Amino acid sequence: MNSTSRLIAALALGAAGAAFAQGNPPTTAPANPATAAGQQNPSGGPMGTTGVTPQSGGTSGSSAPTAQGSTDTSSSSGSTMAASGDTPAMRRARADRN
Amino acid sequence: MNAVKSGSSAASRALAVLVPLALLSTSTATLAAAEDAQWLARAAVAAADNRAAPFAVVDKKNARVFVFDATGRLQGSSPVLLGLARGDDSVPGIGEREMASIRPEERTTPAGRFKTEPGRNTKGEDIVWIDYDAAVSMHRVRANVKSERRLQRLASPSVADNRISYGCINVPAAFYDAYIKPALGTRRGVVYVLPETMPARKRFDFLRPSAL
Repeated sequence: MNSTSRLIAALALGAAGAAFAQGNPPTTAPANPATAAGQQNPSGGPMGTTGVTPQSGGTSGSSAPTAQGSTDTSSSSGSTMAASGDTPAMRRARADRN
Repeated sequence: MNAVKSGSSAASRALAVLVPLALLSTSTATLAAAEDAQWLARAAVAAADNRAAPFAVVDKKNARVFVFDATGRLQGSSPVLLGLARGDDSVPGIGEREMASIRPEERTTPAGRFKTEPGRNTKGEDIVWIDYDAAVSMHRVRANVKSERRLQRLASPSVADNRISYGCINVPAAFYDAYIKPALGTRRGVVYVLPETMPARKRFDFLRPSAL
């Protein structure tokens, strides 16, 4: 092996090392430990309630009927209603009046 | 034979007169409905009541829905099926009741301004909630109860037979997929349901003189 070959081999080894060094090293202090561990409540609640969708307003899970019923539903659903045009979080599936 | 022929030709002549009259009547009603809906749409957009989002107007008297873009331009319209009972209010608590317990006179489609949201019913069907608490939605017509003849009712030129539901607004499936879902099925929106027992200004704040 002449000096040119040795030089090329050294450069190749150096380039490979640099390529390996470009990878993101694992962090020891993730912003969200649950995410880092691959465990996260999709509803954003604490672990241990996975699969339970938080109900807004009330603990029974049933929503109060609209006394007024028809004029404007803002009073009954305003707590979950932002400006129109945004993508809402879907409410619990329920039977409709067909 | 001649009698049959003459009877047949008399019937044909009667049909020749009645069919155009029926079509004329239907198209006149449709035009009137379109005028009412467009009038409301213009007022809603002028008042920015639709919040720069697509919206729909339901004309209960003429059993039609009109879909508008955010600027108030009519995108499409279709016949709809509505609640069996005439009336503009939902019975309090009706959304929590079993369907079988809802009496015919309680099967109203409520009128007013509704903030809608896409959702699903318990069968997993994608729908648009008109009034979630009262369980009123807009959805593709369901023909699972043959005796109700919902598809035939939608197809008939008459408006009188379009009152059959428990309160929901039934839309032809093709129209739902082409117009309702793109406008209201992926985002929050507004649906205006014109009242049938009172003037529209009683249900829409932006029509009141102080708002004009």
